[in-house]
Amino acid sequence: MPRIRFTNLFAERIGGVSSVDVHAATVDSALRALTDRHPSLMPLVWKDGALNPVMVLFLNDRQLPAEEIGAPVGPGDEIDIVSALEGG
Amino acid sequence: MRTSLNGSRSEPGAVAYARATVDLASRDVRIEDVPCRNLEDVLGGFGRSFQILAERTITHAFTPENPLIVNTGVLTASNVTTGLRTYFSAYSPLKVSNKGLPAAMWSAGSCKFGPKLKWTGLDEVILEGRADAPVYLVIRHSEQGPQISFEPADDLLGLTCHEKIMWLKNRYADAHFAAIGPAGEHYEDCYMASVALSTENQLRSGDDKCRWAGRGGMGAIMGYKRVLAIVAQAPDKIAKLKPEIRDINKAVTSGPGSRKFREKDKGGLGGTWSNYEPLEKFHFVPQNNFRPAGDGKPELMFRDNVQPDFFVKAESCFRCGINCHKNVYEKNADGTRGAFLAKFDYEPVNLLSTNLGMHDPRKAAALIALVDRLGMDNISLGTTISYVMDYNERHPDAPILNGATFGDFDKARELVEGAGTGRFPEVGRGVKRLSESLGETGYAMHCKGLEFPAYQPDTNPGYPWAIAGGHMSMATYMAVALEGNTSLDYWATLITTRGLLFVRDDLLGLCKFAGVTHDHVVEALMQEAGIEVTSAELLAAVRRAFMRALWLERKQGYDRSDYTLPSEVFDRPNPNLGVPPFVTREFFSQLSDRVWAVFDPEIEEIARA
Repeated sequence: MPRIRFTNLFAERIGGVSSVDVHAATVDSALRALTDRHPSLMPLVWKDGALNPVMVLFLNDRQLPAEEIGAPVGPGDEIDIVSALEGG
Repeated sequence: MRTSLNGSRSEPGAVAYARATVDLASRDVRIEDVPCRNLEDVLGGFGRSFQILAERTITHAFTPENPLIVNTGVLTASNVTTGLRTYFSAYSPLKVSNKGLPAAMWSAGSCKFGPKLKWTGLDEVILEGRADAPVYLVIRHSEQGPQISFEPADDLLGLTCHEKIMWLKNRYADAHFAAIGPAGEHYEDCYMASVALSTENQLRSGDDKCRWAGRGGMGAIMGYKRVLAIVAQAPDKIAKLKPEIRDINKAVTSGPGSRKFREKDKGGLGGTWSNYEPLEKFHFVPQNNFRPAGDGKPELMFRDNVQPDFFVKAESCFRCGINCHKNVYEKNADGTRGAFLAKFDYEPVNLLSTNLGMHDPRKAAALIALVDRLGMDNISLGTTISYVMDYNERHPDAPILNGATFGDFDKARELVEGAGTGRFPEVGRGVKRLSESLGETGYAMHCKGLEFPAYQPDTNPGYPWAIAGGHMSMATYMAVALEGNTSLDYWATLITTRGLLFVRDDLLGLCKFAGVTHDHVVEALMQEAGIEVTSAELLAAVRRAFMRALWLERKQGYDRSDYTLPSEVFDRPNPNLGVPPFVTREFFSQLSDRVWAVFDPEIEEIARA
């Protein structure tokens, strides 16, 4: 199963959990599985049905352009979703 | 910090911290172990210092009774990545109630001064009273325990922060330094003076690369006390790295929490400077005193547009693998690194360039470096100067000060120099006082006397509840860009729950940029300090500390009239913003009712305790 990792911005909405393993074949379906399981994350991950433009994806440490959200994933893959807006 | 817990359930009274109380007038020094009263005392930072401030009755920031508390967090000097914070707390000259009373404030800074202070054997130093002549303090480790001496500081007078630090470096080996600049020496006319903390990189390279406890005028308090610098001299005492902490550090430096601040070639997004891009998508980048024009000019300061003409190097604080410092150097003709210019973060770059109507990275670097040399908070200064420019644009026939208007670099530089040397007290005392003296407060971008950081107030109705600066003590400043939710329910919940927990690391000694999870903090407390707490207990302590800060504001005369936004946010909505205006007077009034309905009972409970 691929693993989705995220920051405190996400974790604090779902009881402190900082990663979630999901059954999915693509990055897109993995994120949809995440928000199906944790609907409170919906507004962070999706905007108008597409990836929230403020969010950035990494697949196995490589930044993934939003248009490649359909990239395949498999067991052991790590997807990071992070906000492009942080700090000051 | 001494603990007799040994991994048992946490009892704060079983933990004691080492405190030095320094009477600057008599030069008496008292060093003692102080038992903790509660978990906030154990965790440290403002969680502890605000309890000390709460015991004082202070009506003016510049009085001998106002202490300057220099302390650390429980994880400062630990093996946890970014455990480097030093906190400076006092009643602030800048943050004041409408009744004119100073408010309790803290400011945090990173790098090695905090660890060195801790390695002298002290967790906290309270500076009481006022020296009769300029001094610097030397805090030394010795076999008999920490020792503190006073040294005459005549040779330091007039030097910049960096010059003071390098002067001290040449006299004290194995030491780190906290220093004020000319602004702190002119504290009566510059309330926004900051405290510079030395860095390893600075001492090694000789470049002006301090870190800062910038906000709230803690450097002005130090200047009032005639303490120009503090030396913390001790050998490094780095404990053996435990496997549990190694795993946490790996998660921090290679995990998602720090990606924002790492370099792109290290799996990151390039630091806070890169906030320009996502904010500009919504036209949320402040321009011309927080009035975005939607004209695309902020793009000129995007890192990708600046980098080709300079050499940008990611550097770090002591032992930190995140490398969040984006240091800008001249680029030599052969592409190699030239002279150091300035550290580029989103706040100073925006507030000293784009928000002043300037879009030239070289001018931005010049102003940032000048502000650093003089030792001021670039947020407070930049936002006050943008007000001056705005006022002058509105009053072309009766301008104030040097008549600076947007885009005028030479006059902006003159205002910076004048603020830092006492020549322009109108600027140095901050935008609240200046705007009130001019009778035009509606576009003075501050709340409670603390100038706004580089995030639009018309997208952040949470600003009034920030307790120590608009962004680092209330995590609501980018919520609209993140989620686009402008409902009352959303905002009331955000402010009263997640928003306030952003101050967690201001107790612990960690840097917010590390993004350490609550679970990792709990593990680190156990491994590094022998303190066993749950996440729920940790967050309850953070919440109590926050409520205590609000109670302290109330004690200093704050009422609902202080918890508001500049009136032009309500009365002059900006059509250029990428979201429809939602912070109306009616919205804000209802939001206030909702927030206080949650906070009031908790504040009253703190007051009773």
